[in-house]
Amino acid sequence: MTLFVSITIAVIFASAAYLMLKRDLIRVITGMILLGNAANLFIMAAGLRRGRAPVVPSEFETSDSLVQAMTLTAIVISFGVATLVLSLVYRVYDAHHSVDLRRLGSAEAVQSSLDDQPTAHAIQSEEDAQDAIQDREIAARQGGRR
Amino acid sequence: MIIALPLAILWFGALFIALFDGTRKPVGYAAVGILASALAATVALGIDVHRHGPKEMGIAGWEAGVGIALRADMLGITFAVVSLVVLTTALWFEVSRDVKARIFPALVMFMGLGLTGLFFTGDAFNFYVFFEISMVAAYVLASYGESPRQLRAALIFIVVNLLGSVLFLVGIAAMYHNTGWLDMDRISVQTPVLEENPVILTATIIFVAFSIKLGLFPFHFWLPAVYTGTRPAVAAILSGALANIGSYGLLRFGADIFPRELHEGAWVMLALGSISILYGGIQAIARHSPNEVLAYSTIGQVGYILIALSIGGEAGYAAAILYAVINALNKTLLFLSASLRGWIAGAAFAVGAFSVAGVPPAGGFFGKMAIFQIGIDDGRPWIVALVFIGGALSFVYMFLLYRARFWVNQEADEATTKGALGLVVALALVIVLIGVFPEPLLSISREATSMLPERAP
Repeated sequence: MTLFVSITIAVIFASAAYLMLKRDLIRVITGMILLGNAANLFIMAAGLRRGRAPVVPSEFETSDSLVQAMTLTAIVISFGVATLVLSLVYRVYDAHHSVDLRRLGSAEAVQSSLDDQPTAHAIQSEEDAQDAIQDREIAARQGGRR
Repeated sequence: MIIALPLAILWFGALFIALFDGTRKPVGYAAVGILASALAATVALGIDVHRHGPKEMGIAGWEAGVGIALRADMLGITFAVVSLVVLTTALWFEVSRDVKARIFPALVMFMGLGLTGLFFTGDAFNFYVFFEISMVAAYVLASYGESPRQLRAALIFIVVNLLGSVLFLVGIAAMYHNTGWLDMDRISVQTPVLEENPVILTATIIFVAFSIKLGLFPFHFWLPAVYTGTRPAVAAILSGALANIGSYGLLRFGADIFPRELHEGAWVMLALGSISILYGGIQAIARHSPNEVLAYSTIGQVGYILIALSIGGEAGYAAAILYAVINALNKTLLFLSASLRGWIAGAAFAVGAFSVAGVPPAGGFFGKMAIFQIGIDDGRPWIVALVFIGGALSFVYMFLLYRARFWVNQEADEATTKGALGLVVALALVIVLIGVFPEPLLSISREATSMLPERAP
């Protein structure tokens, strides 16, 4: 039983790690959610006793109730975080019209090349800089489409 | 009851403030006031603990060993006070300019709640829960400003730090399985007598989890991207308050719960710390944008904390606490003042820069000196050399940055308000004051180490 649970956790963890290395943001987030589930299973597996449901009073050996409480808390937390991340992904999609990490990376590169120019202070305000980036991003997208 | 007071103030205060529009000044100042009162409650608790020794409280009246315990000792209180000072300053700073999102003040307070909670909790799983409260607040804060760049920064921040949180959760489950306890005091009694291998594995997982939060050398990759993207107040919060989780966690879990494993892994930490110092310093010199320079500087500075921790013993832990406290204040001052203009902001920045480089009379001098001293006492002159090289590197990058920001480029990015300037000057004065009268902080850091067990010789 321990071996079976360990293998299950290992497979889920490995799939999560694989997904997190993908370029598509939705896959990355799926990977993160899976990772949380692997951790939840791990907590359940860390229980000290096995047995029936821990309902008191019980004449049977009961399972460890503490790990169940911990898993429940962890599930709630990972659920909340997953919601938050998905909404953030939506905002990123809204701003870049893409969930491809390569495109986000090139937008970041444009930004840091702006930062590194000693003449960057010529760009008066943050808003101007943002406009400049967006213009470049749009230009890059149109260039890519042609 | 008094232990729960700062938590209660922050919890109800944050919920209350969340109901209102945080972009309005009165709401913002109310949030600053509530944070400041939580800070005052924590300081009062600290004075009480200083006089009468550590306090303990079972949540909801459960007896020790059954319920979840809150513990207030000097180590937790020191970190809680520093974090709340940083949060209050950063929030005040942002309110005095203009808050751009209505949820911002409430989020800063929720982060304060999470941080104070995890510094006070005596239960490993509860630590994780508070940790997640502050992390979730940080995830949202990282996207504050909501420009495409800040959204990207928040995304990187969430993906990497969620990985760290999951690792930490796995570490706690492993700790529970090994010892049968979640109470940190009981775990620390169990770990030295357990078989070594599972404990080493658990300790490594937890070390990696906290290193990700701290941005230590091989786990630093996310830090520059996030810090350069965020707004100055948020960068100050992340590096001044949130990074305290890493230093506190390494002290609490490393020195308190896994002292044997800390001793065995000392050479690894020494190596990682040294690489962090050199790598952070050299990279910072090569960068131009202020947030990026300061981000690499953060990577360099945590190296000192790690070195102090790896040498261990009472002096080593005290040096680590001292350095963590001063570093949090330095980074807050630097991130905030680098976004302002004028000679006053320049002077405040220079104080922070001197403090990072370890030049008296700034407070950073005593942090550096404590590490010098343990290096000499431990008979390792190369540590002294390393601290000196690190200090020289930080001197170079700090003044390259000073030149670029306050001499060459005179245009303001954003409004330099009187309130923001006043705050920055006050923070600079605090750092100078620590440098001129270091004795209170030195004795606090020594007192804080008294609950950590001595390293096995």
